[in-house]
Amino acid sequence: MKTKLLVSAAALALVAGAATAQDLKFPVGEGAFNWDSFKAFDEANNLEGQTMTLFGPWRGEDQVLVESMLAYFTAATGVTVSYSSSEGYEQQLIIDAQAGSPPDVAVLPQPGLIAELAKGGFITPLPAETTTWLSENYGAGPSWAALGTYPGPDGTPALYAFPYKADVKSLVWYSPDNFADAGYAVPTTMEELMALTDKIVADGGTPWCIGLGSGGATGWPATDWVEDMMLRTQAPEVYDKWVSHAIPFNSPEVVAAIDAFGTFAKNDAYVAGGVAAVASTDFRDSPKGLFTSPPQCYMHKQASFIPSFFPEGTVLGTDADFFYFPAYAEKDLGQPVLGAGTLAFIMKDTPASQAFLEFLKTPIAHEVWMAQTGFVTPFKAVNTELYGSAALKKQGEILANATTFRFDGSDLMPGAVGAGSFWTGMVDFVGGKSAQEAADAIEASWPK
Amino acid sequence: MDGIAGKKSGLVWAVHLSTLALVILWVVPTLGLLVSSFRTGDQIVGSGWWKALGTQVQQLPAVRVSGEEVQKEGVFVIEGQLFATGTDISAWGTSSKEPEAFEAGTTTEIEGGATLTVAADGTFSLTSPSSMADLRMPRVFATASTPPEFTLNNYRNVISSPLAGQSIGQAFLNTLTVAIPATIIPILVAAFAAYALAWMDFPGRALLVAFVVGLLVVPLQLALIPLLQFHNWIGIGKGYLGIWMAHTGFGLPLAIYLLRNYMVGLPRDIIENARVDGATDFQIFTKIILPLSFPALASFAIFQFLWTWNDLLVALVFLGTGNDQQVLTGNIVNLMGSRGGDWEILSASAFVSIAVPLAVFFSMQRFLVRGLLAGSVK
Amino acid sequence: MNPALQALLVIVIGVGGCITYFYASNIFLDKVLFPAKGPNAGRNTNRANMVRPWLFLFPAMALLCLYLAYPVFATAWLSLFNKNHEFVGLGNYSRMFAEPKFIESLQNNIVWLIVVPAASTAFGLLAAQLTDRIKWGNFAKSLIFMPMAISFVGASVIFKLIYDSRDAALNQIGLINAVWLKFDGGVGSFLMLRLVPFVLIGCLLLAIAWAGWSVLRPLVQAQGSGGQGGGALVKLGRAAGALVAAFLVYQLGIWLYGIATNPLPFGTPQVWLQKPYWNNFFLMAVLVWIQTGFAMVILSAALRGVPEDTIEAATIDGANPFQIFFKIKVPQIMGTIVVVWTTITITVLKVFDIVLAMTNGQWQTQVLANYMYDKLFRALDWGMGSASAMIIMLLVTPILIWNVVNARKEMR
Repeated sequence: MKTKLLVSAAALALVAGAATAQDLKFPVGEGAFNWDSFKAFDEANNLEGQTMTLFGPWRGEDQVLVESMLAYFTAATGVTVSYSSSEGYEQQLIIDAQAGSPPDVAVLPQPGLIAELAKGGFITPLPAETTTWLSENYGAGPSWAALGTYPGPDGTPALYAFPYKADVKSLVWYSPDNFADAGYAVPTTMEELMALTDKIVADGGTPWCIGLGSGGATGWPATDWVEDMMLRTQAPEVYDKWVSHAIPFNSPEVVAAIDAFGTFAKNDAYVAGGVAAVASTDFRDSPKGLFTSPPQCYMHKQASFIPSFFPEGTVLGTDADFFYFPAYAEKDLGQPVLGAGTLAFIMKDTPASQAFLEFLKTPIAHEVWMAQTGFVTPFKAVNTELYGSAALKKQGEILANATTFRFDGSDLMPGAVGAGSFWTGMVDFVGGKSAQEAADAIEASWPK
Repeated sequence: MDGIAGKKSGLVWAVHLSTLALVILWVVPTLGLLVSSFRTGDQIVGSGWWKALGTQVQQLPAVRVSGEEVQKEGVFVIEGQLFATGTDISAWGTSSKEPEAFEAGTTTEIEGGATLTVAADGTFSLTSPSSMADLRMPRVFATASTPPEFTLNNYRNVISSPLAGQSIGQAFLNTLTVAIPATIIPILVAAFAAYALAWMDFPGRALLVAFVVGLLVVPLQLALIPLLQFHNWIGIGKGYLGIWMAHTGFGLPLAIYLLRNYMVGLPRDIIENARVDGATDFQIFTKIILPLSFPALASFAIFQFLWTWNDLLVALVFLGTGNDQQVLTGNIVNLMGSRGGDWEILSASAFVSIAVPLAVFFSMQRFLVRGLLAGSVK
Repeated sequence: MNPALQALLVIVIGVGGCITYFYASNIFLDKVLFPAKGPNAGRNTNRANMVRPWLFLFPAMALLCLYLAYPVFATAWLSLFNKNHEFVGLGNYSRMFAEPKFIESLQNNIVWLIVVPAASTAFGLLAAQLTDRIKWGNFAKSLIFMPMAISFVGASVIFKLIYDSRDAALNQIGLINAVWLKFDGGVGSFLMLRLVPFVLIGCLLLAIAWAGWSVLRPLVQAQGSGGQGGGALVKLGRAAGALVAAFLVYQLGIWLYGIATNPLPFGTPQVWLQKPYWNNFFLMAVLVWIQTGFAMVILSAALRGVPEDTIEAATIDGANPFQIFFKIKVPQIMGTIVVVWTTITITVLKVFDIVLAMTNGQWQTQVLANYMYDKLFRALDWGMGSASAMIIMLLVTPILIWNVVNARKEMR
């Protein structure tokens, strides 16, 4: 009996040892990572034998990436993390929360939905000092802290969710070769971008590829456009009021922003396939027009994730590149950046979940992922040299240089609008309704 | 006599042809999926699947010239192969604006005094009087006819599923573990109830039938939260026991409804004779009704199995989302990544997951036989 | 324990448990509780026979009540509360009926409820009959059945490859548009796009008109001859059937007119899913494609249950195959046709994933189930979601009544 026990203990140790050696993507102590932060965290925490369930939006390749980060948390604390995700993860989380079997920690990209969960009392608030920590350590810190702060079940606001991982949305993708062939220069102001658009048309080309199709979520790419135009035509405060419904959706500022999007999308000469193709083209197929020959279009505005839908073998930097979706020079609004991101929050208050939220405050939790792919962070303490590619680094710089950073408005609005009437309203707008009509319809659907 | 035979064979032909037409109409969409599952993602969105079967003339993706520079007879030369062998280039160009500027075999001058020739078979030669080390290499656009090209990579990706901790084998096993009990148990429970509703006399029978039909329409989404709450409350939480019970509960109305309908159509005199002979209801049920109801049992088994096999929602809610509990459908949608849209993975995985349900259908089809009731009068 | 082993154990325990339960409870009833001997033998037998149905029904009913009936009551209760958990009475319902999107889904659902069950059952019956006696029938059946076996994940790609639309300058990857672009307005186009559809739809119109008339005829004649028309419920059903037929004839008439006169936009790829009114039919086609396999399997089993001697008798009497089919076989499997029709009707009421994945109810394609999903999981408004679920359940009432009537008839 005893020998058997010993053998299994040895086997266990072997497995555990193999796991740590294999699972850590970057060996501890090597490279320009902030290993000190990891070691300090390692020493401060010992939760050997505990387990934690984590539920998030990342699937497929993204799941491999997040698990590479989680391995460091496990190595430092001894907590066994089981990460899971699913299609329709929002729905899944709502069901689990209401039925009383939530994960320990959850990650969601929609602050609006997290606010609903906080109101329902499903989330444990974070310690008050985290708000200060965010303000001090994140670029544009207070706005990040505000993103995770919601009224609780009793109505008092508190920090409920910790922003981790950002995406930059204000990007325009293009093919440097095609620009070189035609002799176009990258525009730095909105005026130049409009001029370039007209020049391409004059040269017989089509400037833009815009695709709003996304199955059941058809229309969402247009919401990014409108939000970006909103930030470029109005002060950030107006944007905030719009998102929080302090001004109605059909107020003139918003209608003007929708029309500004319309100047691009509702002009047959500007968009590949004509206006009719905008609503029907899948957003995943849309960027492929940049790479056909002759090019179907020269520019495509989309968030930082889109290269995964470029044709196979496309090299970022050579075959495809991006520039910042510029601001109007004549409007003194600085360089606003629209972004998105994910926020982590505690649904079951255990030492392991508390430790995990603390771990997200260490640079290493960010660096491990950013050194690979698809990760940008506003955390100032990370070593930006570690970004896995030049493209990521450039996105990190855009984020860092932003004079204004605002979160994707449709994710902040109530689900009925942000994941419903805003999408459909934009499809109707592109389909022929006026901006005013579309905005009126969305306003009418805002939950009272 | 001849006339009748002629008419008959004409009718037989009509039957064969209409069946064929119907089958084609029903198979074409699936065929598209099958062909697509052997194509790369770029091919799927690049041209229609029906074109993949033959040689197609199309614009190839641009290729940048690259290769070792060799000095030959005073000039610098780079030679090599641009496109896969088998392509037949008809026109090419070096600018995205004029991708068909030159015919195959012509030589053109590009920047820096260099000249470029692209032959019909895809070989190129770039010649320059000076070294081209600093030259920005030109891109070649070509219009070519390419032979049909298929790949097994999609299937390889689906089956070897290299993603963190997930394996399709485990998912397969999990799905079987869910589906088999969730098919057998409701059949048994439903068969008894169906017999009672069909052949036993008691007050409120018609109302109960209505009750069962009414429950058929309950939208699943509404039942999820209260039931998961219930499972958590009685302490089984998320797990196989929970999902078996859930599938049994959700499958019962259809099972009872289908089986009752079939049983009610069984010849009355057989049952009454048995009753007269002193058989109990239990005996009638096991000895007469069950064997006679085999076609109905088999067809319901097929549908219940399909439904549990292809289900994702119930599995996510009642079984969980972790790697160990993942079912096949869950594994497949996760393979497609956070944003979906990998049509090639989707189509390959659809055929991986269809194999078992089809096998079940084939094996069950044997039971949907004629003759069990042949000769009996209703 | 290994889940696979656990599954095996559950099968054994589950099946064994069920059998033991039924066997033991019957024995208990007959031998212990109400033994059919002694002074009260007769009374005991009667009592046992009164209890026995409930023994047979108990496990099924317990599961049904717990897993389906209880959520229905919870839903009905929830539908009376608003988003902030305040009691609003029927407020959610009145708000819902004021929403244009809800009215739109109600209208669309009615079209779905007529077209999909009818088309699936008709195609299923056709497939079952055609494949019944030919050598490769089983193979053909498997192919028609295949859509049922493809998980919905696959079906969404399949129909992308059918309905997709591209700019005319690009390669089409949607089959329908590729075919559409082949037409140029010449003789072939006239034949394929005007003449053939006109004839087909014309035939359908005539068939429906005939069916409508044969449903209505007993009612009209009964009035003439006085009496003999059956119960009021049957009369009502006949009138409703005739009304539906009249509506369909009217719709098809409009189609015929359109086919004959509409100018066709040759050479431009069409975005099929964004054409209001028609896009509903493109979505319905997907469900018909899937459900035909279901109808075929069930009806084929029923056709095979039709006693051979009735067919032989008819053949000897000189009936042609069509007469045999319509006069002998169809009446005998009418009960099964009702079942298939009912089941598909209910599937239609519940279907939302097709609409969600392909249009999400935009371009006037919303249906009730997707409306409900939207309210439940996007707007997080359980009150409204529950209210729409109650409407879905109410819509099934006519079918419910039809089934009760049918069940009563069978029991006599």
